[in-house]
Amino acid sequence: MSPKSRVSAAQRPCPQPSVRADALSKATGAERYALDLAPADCLFAGAFRPGAPSGSSPGIAHGRVRGLDTAAALAEPGVLRVLTAADVPGTNLQGIVHKDQPVLCGEVIRHAGDPVALVLAVSAEALRRGLAALRADIEPLPGVFDPAAALKKGAPLVHAQGHAAPKGGNLLLRAVIEKGDARKALRDAPVVVRGEFSTPAQEHAFLETQCGFAQVLPDGVLDMTVSTQAPFRDRFEIGHALGLDPFRIRVRAPYLGGGFGGKDGATVQCLLALAALKAEGRPVRMAWDREESILAGYKRHAVRLRCELGADSDGTLLAYSCRALYDTGAYAHLGGEVMELGMEHAAGPYRVPHTFVEGRCVYTNNPVAGAFRGFGVAQMSPAFEGLMDALAARLGMDPQALRRKNALRTGDTNSSGVTLTSSAHLAECLDALEAHPLWAGREAWREAAPPFIRRGVGVAAVFNGMGYGRGLPDMAIAKLELTGEGDFLVYSAVADMGQGNAAAFATLAAQELNQQPGAVRLLQPDTERCHPSGSSSAGRTTYTFGNALLKACAAMRDKLLSRAALFLLADDIAALELVPGAVRHKATDRMLPLAVLGRALERDDRVCVAEFLMPVAQDPPDTGRGFVIGFPHLFFAYAAHLARIEVDELTGRVRVCDYVCATDGGRVLDRSCFDQQAQGGAAQGIGFALTEDFSTRQGLILTGDLSTCLMPTALDLPDILSLAVEGDEPTGPRGLKGVGEVGLNGPAPALASALEDATGVRLRDFPLAPERVLAALKQRQGRARRKA
Amino acid sequence: MNVLFPRNMPQLVKALGEPGARILAGGTDLLVRLRAQPDAKLATLVSLDRVAALRGVALEKPGTVLRIGAASTHAELLAHPLVRARLPMLAQALATLGSPPIRNMGTLGGNICTASPAGDTLPPLLVLGAELELASASGTRSLPLADFLLGPGRTALQPGEALTAVRVPLPEPSARQHFEKVGRRDALAVAVVSLAALVRTGGKGAITSASLAWGAVAPGIWRCPEAEAALVGRKLTLSALNSAARIASSRVQPISDVRASADYRRSVTGNLLLRLAAL
Repeated sequence: MSPKSRVSAAQRPCPQPSVRADALSKATGAERYALDLAPADCLFAGAFRPGAPSGSSPGIAHGRVRGLDTAAALAEPGVLRVLTAADVPGTNLQGIVHKDQPVLCGEVIRHAGDPVALVLAVSAEALRRGLAALRADIEPLPGVFDPAAALKKGAPLVHAQGHAAPKGGNLLLRAVIEKGDARKALRDAPVVVRGEFSTPAQEHAFLETQCGFAQVLPDGVLDMTVSTQAPFRDRFEIGHALGLDPFRIRVRAPYLGGGFGGKDGATVQCLLALAALKAEGRPVRMAWDREESILAGYKRHAVRLRCELGADSDGTLLAYSCRALYDTGAYAHLGGEVMELGMEHAAGPYRVPHTFVEGRCVYTNNPVAGAFRGFGVAQMSPAFEGLMDALAARLGMDPQALRRKNALRTGDTNSSGVTLTSSAHLAECLDALEAHPLWAGREAWREAAPPFIRRGVGVAAVFNGMGYGRGLPDMAIAKLELTGEGDFLVYSAVADMGQGNAAAFATLAAQELNQQPGAVRLLQPDTERCHPSGSSSAGRTTYTFGNALLKACAAMRDKLLSRAALFLLADDIAALELVPGAVRHKATDRMLPLAVLGRALERDDRVCVAEFLMPVAQDPPDTGRGFVIGFPHLFFAYAAHLARIEVDELTGRVRVCDYVCATDGGRVLDRSCFDQQAQGGAAQGIGFALTEDFSTRQGLILTGDLSTCLMPTALDLPDILSLAVEGDEPTGPRGLKGVGEVGLNGPAPALASALEDATGVRLRDFPLAPERVLAALKQRQGRARRKA
Repeated sequence: MNVLFPRNMPQLVKALGEPGARILAGGTDLLVRLRAQPDAKLATLVSLDRVAALRGVALEKPGTVLRIGAASTHAELLAHPLVRARLPMLAQALATLGSPPIRNMGTLGGNICTASPAGDTLPPLLVLGAELELASASGTRSLPLADFLLGPGRTALQPGEALTAVRVPLPEPSARQHFEKVGRRDALAVAVVSLAALVRTGGKGAITSASLAWGAVAPGIWRCPEAEAALVGRKLTLSALNSAARIASSRVQPISDVRASADYRRSVTGNLLLRLAAL
């Protein structure tokens, strides 16, 4: 079957409506998040971050710790301990790939949120007083706040000392993807367009801030319950930093109140573990308030790009070059890996024979950047789509026709040199938008703009890789139990941060076992009861664990049929089938209830375990240089986004009137979860592109609370329409691909395109803030007047 | 924290005599400020919540003045038929203030006493010529809003004194009322620039009076008599408004902050006047 014929129309009736397994508990407030489970007799732990601006100090982003006066804090009633770097056993270094971030800083603070002490107290109030009574003597050091300046000779070094100091000064990683000869191809190309682009940092702003609780049990096991995306990896990160045996650490990850990448890697984990080690067996809790969450939490990387796109005169793309500068802030976190994924996407979801992409990821004294939905790619899409629009304008071509002409399809070689054996239906996403009335009726709508308002319509095509990429096995191990009562328990081993993967697991299992949805229960990740299954990230969660789960379900079905054969006196397993609540003998309609089987079988016999390893690109091209892990990827979700906007000529404000996402995420398992991912990604992308504007000055955050870091509200967002372009990813569980991230990459380029349609001005620096828009309108009016 | 709940005016006045007493109206500003103060636990708050005399809307002086109890919530006023019909610019301002939960808690008196240069109800109340009624142990007094607001966060409210009511003269129905707030988003947004305009026209459409007030472009609510004067005698056309806008933009001296630059505020200060041409 050809890929094309596997695609059904975007408007086909969606699969049966379903209610997510976690919908009721969340809607009624019954869900228990990490801190809800904390025992009442917990001690309270809190970090002292002396670089933070306060009443007495404007804040310090880079400084030498000359002294710490703990006497007054220790004198506060209820304050038990004040821990410093000297109290940290182990390496005192955290980090997922690069270990460069102290749990507690002893000598230097490298950004304003760095902690130098940890206070342990009997109550929240005592903790607050203890933290307020701490005094640090910090000698300000010259800082570096601009990644380009950080690479200059003589720039202050962020990591000047210690064994974590990088050899390249402030350069964390330089990497290159080179395919063909882009320089020559650009020189020879009949048409070349170029531009510089920039996108700001972004705050995750999950509802549930970083939190958890921990206790050292009498047998010495460190038992933790944390809001985390990576419970299994956390054990190793904590073990490394604190010198503990990772297998004596138990991490449980109940449902998260949001993560978006910001809880991938250590937040409270090492601090909380350290506090528990010093709490003499008592449980300890830690929760960051909103200000601390913004101050110390990870951010999306601010990125600057210089790009060139060359094409033939008929619009066939010939070459793309891109130079990217990623600001990773004070610590590496996943900086190199974020940049890797961005670079792999630099040239867009198109066939480009010659590419040259150079990335540099640079330390500064800005807040720490890390994983964020759209992982490095959301920063690339405004550039590749901006240049596609520019190319279309130069050639006098319809921009959507240009995109369709060059769109990647199965069998193509992508810009990194990977041959796509995976499903790719971008062109059909574009078709779905073009067929939509909001596109068809755009001219009349634009003409009907009220006074002082200009209307514009924009489209962007985007994609996002799935999985860890080569070099890091993307593996999950699913465990499934037939309970003694005869229902099923899925040991979910990948955290659910709200995206609905747990519900998807329940749906997959119920379908595969032919049971009512209510007959499948879920256990949330627990490193003692579940098997290591990687992080909840990279659009891999449902794909990888789902595949493992389907294998476990198949094994369970075979097992139950064979065990039932004895009871049903069936000498041919094929004569039996699983039906809701029972095994049935087809010919005679005799039934063996699963509740009976559950009681009859030993527990060991009621459990099935199966694993799945995500396939990787075979014969990987040698186009990438400098990457540690993650290059290249094989599977991608695709999407095309349509935005209709109004621009106010008097204020420069942009209002998003209508928004449509057409998404190729393979086959759709649960339409409501699929739509929620598309809508949530688009909403978060609209905030990134329009309102949020996360800003710092000299490393100090200007938008340090939710009254200044402006996430869009319900009034700022239109209803976001989600269309499903159902392809079929042959390797996916029931044909699906991960769709968690791709939605975030669309709004910035789609809105910039709509803004250009409305005003004639292309903005290449984000966000598209009123200030920039008004200035651009003024400039254009000035030009028009001079011409006239 | 000590919170007192007086039930009538005499009890209120007495409670305000407690040392360090601070008035708690809706709490939407006060509680945010107290959160940042380490000694907040020592504060004595006097809640207006149970003083019935401080709530409600009534017509006074045979239908020419609306008396609004200072502890009326924004949501109550927004739902009030007389406010909607006769003071549409105040209703527009209230509709953009905060968010539904904040409008359910916050009060008109609180918005006035916070005296923020970005206070949403202040520009409309100023162009409407609102008068304030203040009560203390020594009796009541009346003060024009313009004299009450002394600077950012500063008012003429004396220790032991409470704002009890706001008297708003009702413009004749033919007068044009307009309010617009420019924020960085459509809810829970502090004004970057706001404008309230009350324009009266005579027989042939010529403007007889124009009252304009801007929020968030100066330490207090900003007035521009020169721009008002430039409109008088002309029709409400784009060209007349352009002249007034140029005057306003050239005279205003806003600051730059995290929400917007001074240049942006200067442009928008004038631009917002142009919207009157589209009404």
